[in-house]
Amino acid sequence: MRNYENLVIVKPTLTAEEIQASVKAIEEVITSNGGEIAATSPMGMRKLAYPIEKNERGYYHVIYSSIAPSAITEIERRFRINEDLLRFVTIKYDTNREIAAFNGMVAKAKKAAEAPAKVETPAVEEAPVETPAVEAEAPVATEAAAPAAE
Amino acid sequence: MAEKRKYKKRYCKYCEAKVDFMDYKDAGALRFSLSERYKIMPRRLTGNCKRHQDMISIVIKRARAAALVPYTVTRKQVVVAPFENLK
Repeated sequence: MRNYENLVIVKPTLTAEEIQASVKAIEEVITSNGGEIAATSPMGMRKLAYPIEKNERGYYHVIYSSIAPSAITEIERRFRINEDLLRFVTIKYDTNREIAAFNGMVAKAKKAAEAPAKVETPAVEEAPVETPAVEAEAPVATEAAAPAAE
Repeated sequence: MAEKRKYKKRYCKYCEAKVDFMDYKDAGALRFSLSERYKIMPRRLTGNCKRHQDMISIVIKRARAAALVPYTVTRKQVVVAPFENLK
């Protein structure tokens, strides 16, 4: 068993429930292939640095787990088939230093999952309110930047 | 031979902060080693040591794959504080 980190970007066109369902399906892919999930940390809806399949934003979800190295190819094959995913990144944590960092991140993710567990429900409600604000700001920012560049 | 130095002495900021591990998800921390067009800055300009330059280049490439940091920026998209509208 080796420590891995899976970052997946789920399509933003899905509804909140569909996103949660597909995240659960992704976690199930890992567990059904003999992986043990140590922690998960949802990074939430973010603007992508560049458009992927014409999507400007995506739902980021990070899964820390220990998986047998031979199972990784199968998991990645399943990820590739999954049409809800825009992108996935698998990172191996192998050396002592990396494992220490991995454990630190797992502890951090667990803490973050426990502490704002009660706050999570309003946070989800806030998210749609925040996104239009960002969208409204973005064109203004680009307009402001454009004359400055000229 | 106390010749006057032409430039300020460069030192590795990561060594000074004793960085052992860099997280690719923390895109703001990678900004120091990226140019305004998101190219990886060379060691001769940032003063990074070889070890940390190797680490940061791997981490930046991971972040690019995860769409946290762009590969390239077109002329229109170059902005002064690029990470502020990434959130």
